[in-house]
Amino acid sequence: MKTLKFKLLLAWTFLVGLLTVTTLTAQVSNLAEDEAFFCEEVDESADVYDPFESVNRFTFLFNDFVFSNAVQPLVDTYTATTPDPVEEGASNFFHNLSYPVRLASNLLQCRLKSAWVETSRFAINSTVGIVGILTPADDYEGLGPIKYEDVGQVFGAWGIGEGPYLVLPLLGPSNLRDLAGFFGDRAVNPLKEPFSAVDDWKWEWQLALSGSGYIARSPQIIERYKQLKGSSIDPYSSLRSGYAQYRRGAVAE
Amino acid sequence: MKFFSCKIFLVFGLLFGASISAQEAQKEKLQGMIDATLDVIYSDAHTTLSVNEKQAKVREKLESSYDLDVMIRYAIGKNWRRMNKREQLEVLDLVKQLVLKAYVSGLDGKVRPLVTFGELTDIGKARIEIESTMVLDTKTYYILYRLRQMDSGWQIYDIVVENVSMSSNYRRQIDDHFRKGSAADLIVRLKDLLSKDEINEDTKI
Repeated sequence: MKTLKFKLLLAWTFLVGLLTVTTLTAQVSNLAEDEAFFCEEVDESADVYDPFESVNRFTFLFNDFVFSNAVQPLVDTYTATTPDPVEEGASNFFHNLSYPVRLASNLLQCRLKSAWVETSRFAINSTVGIVGILTPADDYEGLGPIKYEDVGQVFGAWGIGEGPYLVLPLLGPSNLRDLAGFFGDRAVNPLKEPFSAVDDWKWEWQLALSGSGYIARSPQIIERYKQLKGSSIDPYSSLRSGYAQYRRGAVAE
Repeated sequence: MKFFSCKIFLVFGLLFGASISAQEAQKEKLQGMIDATLDVIYSDAHTTLSVNEKQAKVREKLESSYDLDVMIRYAIGKNWRRMNKREQLEVLDLVKQLVLKAYVSGLDGKVRPLVTFGELTDIGKARIEIESTMVLDTKTYYILYRLRQMDSGWQIYDIVVENVSMSSNYRRQIDDHFRKGSAADLIVRLKDLLSKDEINEDTKI
């Protein structure tokens, strides 16, 4: 009887010991797994080729100075003196004007459905929406706003590499491919040089149009930029990584 | 034998079903947490609260559902080992405060956004992705929540807004910081960012 009791006790001890060891091993293994997870490489899409980092950082500081001391006061005055509907109308108007860029970019990527949506939206917003100030096309089924396409994205879709990261004076983050795309955007836009469709298109008018467009788009950009700056350990690095991820995502879509 | 096979299929079926419903439950949990944090920011009862008080309440809501340390640790990555225990804890808390500050300040003063949850995708390695859209000020933002099953349950480890991963973004910044700076410098920088009343207040770069 005693032997049986002893055997049972031994078996019980062995079982408890085995369970404890198994649990501890599992915990250690889970901790090791969690540790490996924390240290794994994050998405490669955040890696950016930046051979001109020192020049870029300098240009970034210059842009920050201009944004804070020139653009910001202008935008503050604009937002303070302009009622919200007018601000929105101006933003819509300039977005509508960039239709040729979006159309050409969609066509160059063979996105016929998107090209059709853009064309329909342009037709409705330019007429019913009074030269694009309003966006009545939003109310039509299947004609809601779609992702903005530009020539830089076209180059990306064609498989052209993005090249080195660049910070352009006054224009901000870019890369070699998007810089070429910037000139491409101008080339397909009949309101801009070098292939302007408007006769006797004086530079003063062009400058006024571009300047107004810049100001109309700026409130949102400035707000996002200030948020980024206020929540970043290294704003330059944050903007570079954010820009690269955003553009790569736009090209992949 | 047939009966035995049926039993095996039944057990596997039940296990698989339980796993799927456990993942689906994560969507509801996430939705509930987002609603709760938006209630804090937009509730009429909280209009008199300062931004700091709202942040504290949002943090409370978030931490009652998820372990925020997971997301911050994932963003810090290998740099974690470059800090001593005290620095690790301090950086963890400061980054958490900074993220919460950015979240609350980004929404405060605006009309309550409309958040809709979409598909849940099992991406393997005990990870899922939950799609969502947020309509804020007439603009639609695509937001992806990434969760992993940790020892402490399902935890958010990354939030991707318009293709920009928050964890990747902070990882790059912290990597860049440690190329030249120390953990002590990082703490100073984080404290400086948090000392500003508003996220929009001009910050030294």
